[in-house]
Amino acid sequence: MSACTRCHGQLEHGDLRCAICALPAISLAATERQDRAKVLRCTDCNAAIAFSPAVQAPRCAFCGATMAIEQLVDPLEVAEVRLPFTVDRAAAEASLRGWLGNRGWFAPSALRDEAVLESLTPLCWAGWVVSAQATVAWTADSDEGAKRSAWAPHAGKVPMRFESIVVPASRGLTLDECRKLIPYYDLRRTEPVGDDFVESFDAQRSAARVHVQRGIEATARTRVEPHIPGRRYRNIRVACLLQGQTTQRVALPAWVLAYRYRGAAYRAIVHGQRPEVVFGAAPTNWTRVALVVLGALAVVAAIITFFATR
Amino acid sequence: MRFECGQCGAALSFEGVRTQTCPYCASPSFVERPASSSRPDPVFTVAFAGDAQWARAHLDRWIGRRMIIADSALKNGSVDELRGIYLPAFLYSAVARTDYTASIGEHYTETETYTKTADDGTKTTETRQVTRTEFRPLAGVHLGYITDVVVSASAGLDHPTFARIEPFELRQLRRHSPALVSGFIQEEFSREADECLRVSRGAAIDEVGEEVRRFMPGDSHADLHWSTKVEWESLDPVLVPVWVFALRYRGDRPPLRVVVNGQTGKIAGKLPLSWWKILLLVLGAAAIVTVIVLLILHLREPPP
Repeated sequence: MSACTRCHGQLEHGDLRCAICALPAISLAATERQDRAKVLRCTDCNAAIAFSPAVQAPRCAFCGATMAIEQLVDPLEVAEVRLPFTVDRAAAEASLRGWLGNRGWFAPSALRDEAVLESLTPLCWAGWVVSAQATVAWTADSDEGAKRSAWAPHAGKVPMRFESIVVPASRGLTLDECRKLIPYYDLRRTEPVGDDFVESFDAQRSAARVHVQRGIEATARTRVEPHIPGRRYRNIRVACLLQGQTTQRVALPAWVLAYRYRGAAYRAIVHGQRPEVVFGAAPTNWTRVALVVLGALAVVAAIITFFATR
Repeated sequence: MRFECGQCGAALSFEGVRTQTCPYCASPSFVERPASSSRPDPVFTVAFAGDAQWARAHLDRWIGRRMIIADSALKNGSVDELRGIYLPAFLYSAVARTDYTASIGEHYTETETYTKTADDGTKTTETRQVTRTEFRPLAGVHLGYITDVVVSASAGLDHPTFARIEPFELRQLRRHSPALVSGFIQEEFSREADECLRVSRGAAIDEVGEEVRRFMPGDSHADLHWSTKVEWESLDPVLVPVWVFALRYRGDRPPLRVVVNGQTGKIAGKLPLSWWKILLLVLGAAAIVTVIVLLILHLREPPP
């Protein structure tokens, strides 16, 4: 794989320009040419042909043949490697049961025993794993040095190394669900992609750059926080100059569970590598909620009465 | 510059263009020529998205939307000239390092005391909350890549006009090939690369200015000054598609010249206006405003 000469980011096969800094990645072949006029000929009937916008290729007006030319490559992104599942089906189900039994007093007490597991699907969700060196310029308002206003402006510049930032591109999981899973993956061990349960990316290659850029900026915004003087801050803005960015398309394992409790369906997610990471929706025992609310109201009423009658 | 037609051998003139359609056999020819510094070979090409009818439909829609103020004769205008041209341009990118200084405004609220005079002349003192802004100086740096600046390299189309039909969707950029331009007019590069580099830098620095404005913290800012250093510049010849129309609508007037973005259909042109229509429109608006004002005044007046 070659690298861009300006930003040292990796170039992919078929890239005409660098995806990060837009430096052209092709050079013109210096061919021996003489000054003369030529016509483009139909490969079928040898007539002179012209480019047709409708088919985005030269088309012969006489025989209707279309000449094959280099077409734009903008494939859907596809995972290159995946992280292995270390939580198997039984363990995923067990951790769901454990989680259901641990939902607290507001959840129905029969939840653990009566919940019916409807489906337990292994899902390799799609994401980019990005590493890059960056210089991050930032501005923010903070309480440090504030005078009459509660805020004072600050600015700075810090070098940062982004190591294996996961930027989600999942169709099946929400961004929020992905964010909860990301911190618990072991990104060092990868295996080749099989054809099973691997999700396709929710982006084409040309759109990937914007997603990845936003992901890095979001990470940079959190990472500059310790560099901002003061205790409170707002309006954090960052501008990143990325160098040597490498991007890997990875499939990350998770178990998606659907369970049913007394007629209603709920969804929960179990991490594919750490069985203790479980989250999702659980039913609420409204009778207990009502009891607590009534109890609280009764206590408040009692206190008011107590003070009012003194 | 004259060459023989590649199909029938008739003599064709290639003045300022690299393609030509033979008037005898209707074959589209293109010229192969060694690249030189003043006549570079395009590296990329953005292809036409539609044919002449597609361009005409965009033009009709553009005129139709403006018919309320445009010269009525446009409706029956005839197309004198309609050409699909691959326009020479330069694609610029660079690393931009910017130093800025600005005055950042931070809001704060203050309690203000004021005196209120009632209808009967009695004075009372009251307080109210007012928002004020405190300005603080800020200096810093901004960094980034400038990626998609395109400037016209055609002497026939100046950069301001070109900027009005921008942007081109550069994700659709293709490697240049004669197969993409065959049958259309490929205009020869007619502006010097040095001049285009200067124009590109100007456009790039304007773009950085927009970004620096968005980069400022605080509730508002003023006195923003920035100086940008560009490094690692690249300037590459590209071809972009435009349709050029000449629409004749009155015998005594020069035809209306319109440029259409051949990829997106965006249009730039100076539409002939009908002053009568505008006058009527203004008078109509003034009449409506007058009626509303009179109505309000009438309603506010206490009943006799």
